[in-house]
Parts: sequence; structure tokens; C-alpha cells
Amino acid sequence: MLRACLAAVVLAAVAAPAHAYEFWLRAQAIGQSYQLRQYRLIGPDLFLGRHRYTQTLALRIWDVGDLAAARREAHLPDRGLRISWQSYLRIDHDFGDYTGGRVLLPLAVPVRRDALDITPELGASVASLELLYGYLELAGLFDDRLTLRIGRVLADDGWGSTAIDGATARFEVPSAPVALSASAGFRVRASSPLGLAAYELDGTSGAACQEYVEGPTPGSGTWKLIDRNRMITDHHLASDFEYCPQRDVRQPSVGFTVATARIAGFGAELGYRRTWSDTVGRIGTVDRLMYPDLGLYPNDFGQAPGTGVDEERLWARAHGELRAWGASVAPYADLRYSLLHAAIDRADAGVRLSRGDHTLEPSLEYFYPTFDGDSIFNVFSIEPTTDLRLGYQLAGGVPVHASAWLRAYHHEAGAASYAGGGDAGIERGLGAAWRVRVDALWDDGYGGRRIGASAEAAWRPAPSLWLRGRAITLAVASDEDRRPRYVSSSSVVSSTWRVSDGVALHTILEIDRDAIHDLQVRAIGVFDLAFAPEP
Amino acid sequence: MATAPRWHRIHLAAGIAALAVALTGVVLADEDRGDAWSPVIYPLQRLPLVFSHAAHAKRGTACAACHPAATSSRSAVDDLLPTEAACRACHPIDRAQPDLVVPGAPPVACRACHPGFAPGAEVARVYLTPPPLKFDHSAHRGSLCERCHGDLRRVELATTRQLPTMATCLGCHRDGSDERHCADCHLAKLGGLIETRFEHGTLVPAHDGLGDAHGPGFQDHHAQEARQIGATCAACHDASECVACHQGVTKPLDFHPGNYLLTHAVDARRGKPDCSACHRAQSFCVGCHEREGLGTRSDSQFTSIDPDRAFHPPGWASPGPGPNLHARDARRSITSCASCHREDECLKCHSAQPGGLRASPHPAGWRGSARCRALDRGNRRMCLRCHIAQDELGCDWSAR
Repeated sequence: MLRACLAAVVLAAVAAPAHAYEFWLRAQAIGQSYQLRQYRLIGPDLFLGRHRYTQTLALRIWDVGDLAAARREAHLPDRGLRISWQSYLRIDHDFGDYTGGRVLLPLAVPVRRDALDITPELGASVASLELLYGYLELAGLFDDRLTLRIGRVLADDGWGSTAIDGATARFEVPSAPVALSASAGFRVRASSPLGLAAYELDGTSGAACQEYVEGPTPGSGTWKLIDRNRMITDHHLASDFEYCPQRDVRQPSVGFTVATARIAGFGAELGYRRTWSDTVGRIGTVDRLMYPDLGLYPNDFGQAPGTGVDEERLWARAHGELRAWGASVAPYADLRYSLLHAAIDRADAGVRLSRGDHTLEPSLEYFYPTFDGDSIFNVFSIEPTTDLRLGYQLAGGVPVHASAWLRAYHHEAGAASYAGGGDAGIERGLGAAWRVRVDALWDDGYGGRRIGASAEAAWRPAPSLWLRGRAITLAVASDEDRRPRYVSSSSVVSSTWRVSDGVALHTILEIDRDAIHDLQVRAIGVFDLAFAPEP
Repeated sequence: MATAPRWHRIHLAAGIAALAVALTGVVLADEDRGDAWSPVIYPLQRLPLVFSHAAHAKRGTACAACHPAATSSRSAVDDLLPTEAACRACHPIDRAQPDLVVPGAPPVACRACHPGFAPGAEVARVYLTPPPLKFDHSAHRGSLCERCHGDLRRVELATTRQLPTMATCLGCHRDGSDERHCADCHLAKLGGLIETRFEHGTLVPAHDGLGDAHGPGFQDHHAQEARQIGATCAACHDASECVACHQGVTKPLDFHPGNYLLTHAVDARRGKPDCSACHRAQSFCVGCHEREGLGTRSDSQFTSIDPDRAFHPPGWASPGPGPNLHARDARRSITSCASCHREDECLKCHSAQPGGLRASPHPAGWRGSARCRALDRGNRRMCLRCHIAQDELGCDWSAR
């Protein structure tokens, strides 16, 4: 948090005023209040109040320096150098029992401690200032063929996005319909300035980091939680116990892609990304002179590497579209190969068939869980899954959607378990002011059984006011016991009042009832401001 | 699942039946009903006229003879319709004689072009809403008119069907499918995003050859569209819209409806939908589960031995001989394990270091496998979490 504040101050100090530009900005103030169950071993369960305030700010400063003004005023397409800035900042504060409460530790002599100390991950919401992206873009270089982005840029391989602190460049080759992209920088982590954990590779937790403590003879030691008891500062915004140097180290990351460009009806891309990090806390023979040996990785015989790869992936994507006889056939295929795991971890293939208002999409999807190279979950991840999916959509006055899926869990011995299900929904307008929608869901197999439905009605009594109501019922059972474990019912009422152009107020109230939780309430209010002032 | 084969057959049969029904619907559907002409770009027109482009074209009339401004217009809001003066060049119209017929000359009676014309009554006017586009006719004057206006020479009254669709434009302007060039034709707001809200509707991608049609359920199922090369999402959507949901702090009520805090366990255990698209198990999930008492650190039901209160059934992960049911689930859905457990909890039993139980999680054939070698070569730090002895490191060790 201290680092985040420092970084914000530095950013504010070095930001020079821009004079000729257009800008767009959107600010959202979100207040949430809801209850979470705290399950207890002894005594009745408790409800924890979670009260959360979030403020977001999305900013686009466009055409800094008015370099494109002349062409814009002449109604000509943008060409030549254009400079812009885009960023998204979030302030998040959770001030309910959820983060501020205390927890009883089941030790020989029970001890009560701050929940934040027991669960350091809560620190991500107790008080955070996060820059989800923020970069300077130089577009239109080299006859409009080169685009540069510098700052915190989003990086996407097709299966989720992350961010890197660095730069990206995209260049369109003049003589061929090909575009080359490259990116380099440090992958954003929770420990980065204004960073957030959501961008990190999954697998290594924010707490429970361990150190190697040597035994009487070299090699006979054990891993133990890093003891920071002596360093307790009783800080209320961060854990007093979390200490995890390997998760604080920088992760350099580079990526390259070659993609098609300017080809109508077809696109393809080949990409590569590698992220790595230095090893911290290696314990060599020299370190052993200081007893007790505290460090992260024993390295008596040079067995601890100087660096480790966190991700290394190749991916390929291709899609196309053919149109004939009033129909459209759009096949696609995507594949990602993890060099770190010597395995394909993601793949899919399908085709979207459209004719008139009807769209049908059969597809196959393959998934093999992989984690950050530091995570031992990589070893536990053994069995992939394959999905067969079928989706159908009917556009037009009465939109309909339906989908069915079957997932196979492939076991090591060659057998498989299955899960599958389907859902469907239909929507219809009733006059100019009303709209109703009904959805149904059913699934079964590994993971559990569910059957449920929802009905929704929306009313627009005035051009600036929307009112919605929704009722949802869902019965859930385990896959090993056919009797329903519980039935959950929820009611949601919400409203949107468009105060003026670019200003809206949203409110949502959700009430849940089921056999496990007597009654839970969630309320959300969003004040949405989207300014677009004249330059 | 004990009944897997029967269950599998039921699903397969249901899937084939659903596929057959849906395919029949697609095949029997009407052809493209013309939604390529967006009613937002080309709002409804009012054309109370009788006119034959075909007849004029047959006589060899050049387009510019009636639409002279088309060769010099630089804006889509310019009125390029011929005025009465343009018609007078060939049609000797005389307003004083509305029913005049001139032998050998083209029709001149007012009613010939204005159906229902009644002397003294107000003449029904043509009403066209300018398209919300940027367009420079003068820059295209070197092209044949039919190239953009299609079968204009064969129709009577020209309507929106003779106006170019986006696919027409992309036929020549290959760069147009790049999101950086959307604002070359579409109106942009301050900040560079495309203006999509107009009095007569909201501009939403349709079947236009870009593969980004926003059909029903698009909000929940847009991964494939967003993944496409040259996806044009950023032309209309600020990136904050993506991260506000994917890295969000508010439960999206459309995607996670109702009492999802209670019911999400089914989705999470099954791994569908892909939770990792928005959530990081080892921070988002672990933090919440631990705080709710579903972790292993606090006074929770996780550690209960009472079968009615325990989170996992008896024998789930008992050391030594026993069913150890957790192994099956861990292999099937390790991500759901990672949503509650931190690595150190697994290491208590699986570690090969002193004090560990040396319960090997490795699959058969691990030693010497390509995956073992790749992980060891890429990041040995992971191996060191369990294996400290030098002779256990690498993929050729024989201590197992």
C-alpha cells in the first residue's frame, strides 16, 4: 500500500499538463453491502458484513498536441502521428467485518488474531489503489504502419488478459498482409507499483511462503513458514505476517506475434510469450556460517537455479468466414502449447453457421490446467477435460438462445467421467415499455446436479427510468446423492435512472433464501458519471 | 460416476437430437433478411415518389445529370437528391398546369411523380435522415456508381437497398476492418470511440463480415469474438469496460445470477465456466474461503471430524492406508483444490523432504517423461519444494 501511494504521488508530480487534446472520462462510484456466512466448527455460523466502496476512473486523452486536428476538420481519415493516453484507476476499500474482524486460531491455546493477519489475501480489498492499465500510445508512425504503447499495457493471448509494465510495438509489413507485434516489460504482480493480484499467474498464494531452515547437518533441514512474529506492527491495512520474497521479485516478460492483416474473411496468428524471475534467497555454503540458516532455497550443491521460468507458451489462432447463398460459415480454431509443461493446455475448434436470424455453433474445447512455474499445482494437474458444445441463437423480435454441453474428464487410466447440461432462454418485448425474459438451466454429472429457472420483467415507465425485477429458483444436489441438498430462491429488483446524458444512478437489491442460509441481503448502488466535455 | 456409460449415451442422444433440430431450423430459415442494411445507419425513409431509375438508365442518362452534387460532395449529410430544377432539364414541368401532357416529351404532370397529388394540397415530401457516417463522394468519383450502389440501374425507386453496406466498403477498403480505421467512416466521440447511440437506435455489430455480431447472450459468450485477429471491440468499447468485469469487484448479476455465493461450488468443482477468466484462485478464492471458515487455518468446518459438519467426507485425505478420495478430485479439478488450499497444506504429506510423508502425486511414468524434463529444465524451484536431496532432483532419480 505504501508503495502504491508513493507511486501515485510520483505519477502526479511528473505528469506534465497537456494543452491541446480531447478527453473522455468515466467515473464510477460503487457502494456495496452484503452478508457472507462464516462457517464455524463450534457454535452457530455467523454472518459477516461486507461493506465496500470502490471508485474507478477511466481516462482517455486523445490527440495530444492536436496533431490530427487538420485532417479531422477536413473530414479525412486519421493519418500521421497521433498521441493518446489511456488509463483505468481503481480505489477499493472494504471496511466491514469481512476484512476488519478477528479470527480464533485453533491452537493448543486458542489465539484471536486479525483476520487480515490470518488471511493476507484480504489485503487486496481492504485498501488498494490499482492501475489496471495506463499507457501512452503513439500511432500512425511510418506511414501509419507502426503503433507504440508505453506504460502499463494489457497483454492478451486469447485466454485471458494480463498486463505488463513496459512497451508494445505493432508493425504492419508494407509488402505483405502481415503484422508483427512485440512486447517487453515486467509482468504486473500484486507487489508491482499500483499492482493487483488478479493479473498474476495462478498457483502461488499470497501467503504461506516458506523458508528452508537447516537441520544439524546440511540437507537435513525442513521448510517452515517464514516467522515474522518479531516484526508485528499491528498494521490494519496489510498482514503483519505475510513475507514472501519470491512473490515480490520482478518477472521480466517478452512476447512476439505474427498475424495476418488486411485480409477480408480470414485471420491467423502465431504467438510466443516467456516470463521468468530470478531466484531469491538461495542458501549456499557461505550462508551456512550464520546459524540459523534462513533462506528460501537450499543450494549446497548448486541445485537451485539462478532463474526460473514462470510461463512459456506458444499459441496459434485462426478463423475465417465464408458467405454464400444467404448463409455464413465461420470456422475457427485456437491452440496454446505450454513449453514449460510440454503440453497443450488450451485448444478449441468450432464453426458458426448463420442464416438469416438463426445461428448454430458446434464446438470442441480442450483444457489442461497449468499454473505459474513456481507452483507445485503443476505436478498435481494431471487429467485434462474435453468439452463438446452446441449453441443456438435466434435473433430478431423474439430473441432465443439455447446451449448444450458435455464435458469429459479424462482419467489417467484411460476412463472418463462426464458432466453435461443445457440452458435456454427467450426474450420478448411487450409494447414499447415492457420486456420479459425466461431462462431455464439443467446440468448433471461430475460436480453436482442443478435444475432451475429464472423469470425477469423490465419496465421503462419514462424515457430516463428503467425498473427490473427477477426471480430465480435453483435446486442443487451432489452428483453422488440424487436427493436435492438445497433449493435456493432469489429475488432481485434493480433500477437505472438516467439523470442526464452521461450521468446515471443504478441500484440493485438482492434477497436470497435457502435451507442453509436463512436470509441474505445484497445491496449495490452505482453512481456513473461519463463526462465528455468540449475540448 | 458409476453410471457413466448410460449417462454418456443419454447425453449423446440428446445432443444429436438437439443438433438435428437446430440444423433443420438453420436450413429452413429464410435467407439473409437484409439486416446488413442497419436501420441505425440508414433509418427508415419516406419516399412518396414515382420514379424509375431503370427507365432513366435505359435512356442513357448519366447519374451525374440528376445528381451533380455527388461528384463534389464531401459529407454524408449533403443533400444529393435532384431538385425540381434538375428534372426540368428534360421534363418541361409547368406548375400552373399540373395535368399537362406534352406529346413526345417525358411525363410532366405533377401526378406522374407525386402520387396522390391534388392541386392546392400540400405535396408529400421526401424525408431522408442523413446516415451517421463520414463519406466523401468526391473521393470516389473515379469509381462506377454501381460499384457502391448495386443494382441501381435496374430498380424503379431507389431505397436503402441501393446504398452501400459495410461489406461493400470493405470490398475495397481492406484496412477498414482494422479497428484503428473504424472512425474513418463512423462518427467518433471525443476520446476516439465510435458513437453508437442515436435518436433512432443503437449501433450494434450485425452480420457484416467482421465476425463480431452481437446476438442474444453475447454478454456471456463473447470469448471467441474477442479472441479473433483484428477484433474491433476497442473501436466502440473502452478497455475499462473489459477489465471492470474481468478484473471486477462487483458480482455481475447477469453472469452470476441469484444466490451464486452458495451455488457457485458446482461450477467451480466442475470447472465450467472457466473461473480463471476473471478470478485468480490463489488470491480471490483462497482469501474469501479462508475468511468464511472454509480454509484450514481458522476455527472452521474444514477440520471437523463430524461427518455432518465436515467439508470433505471421512477418509478424504487421511495419511496412510485409506480411501484418500481427494486424489481423484485433485486430478480431475486441481483448480478447485487451489481455490481453498495453499501449497504448504499439500506439502505436509506430499513432500519428500524430512518430515514429509513422501506421498508421491506424480502420475505413472513421470520419471523421465517429457513433462518432468520440461518443468525441471524450466523452473527447478518448484521441484525444490519437495525434493531437497541432490540425488532426487532431475528426472532420472531412482529414489521413488
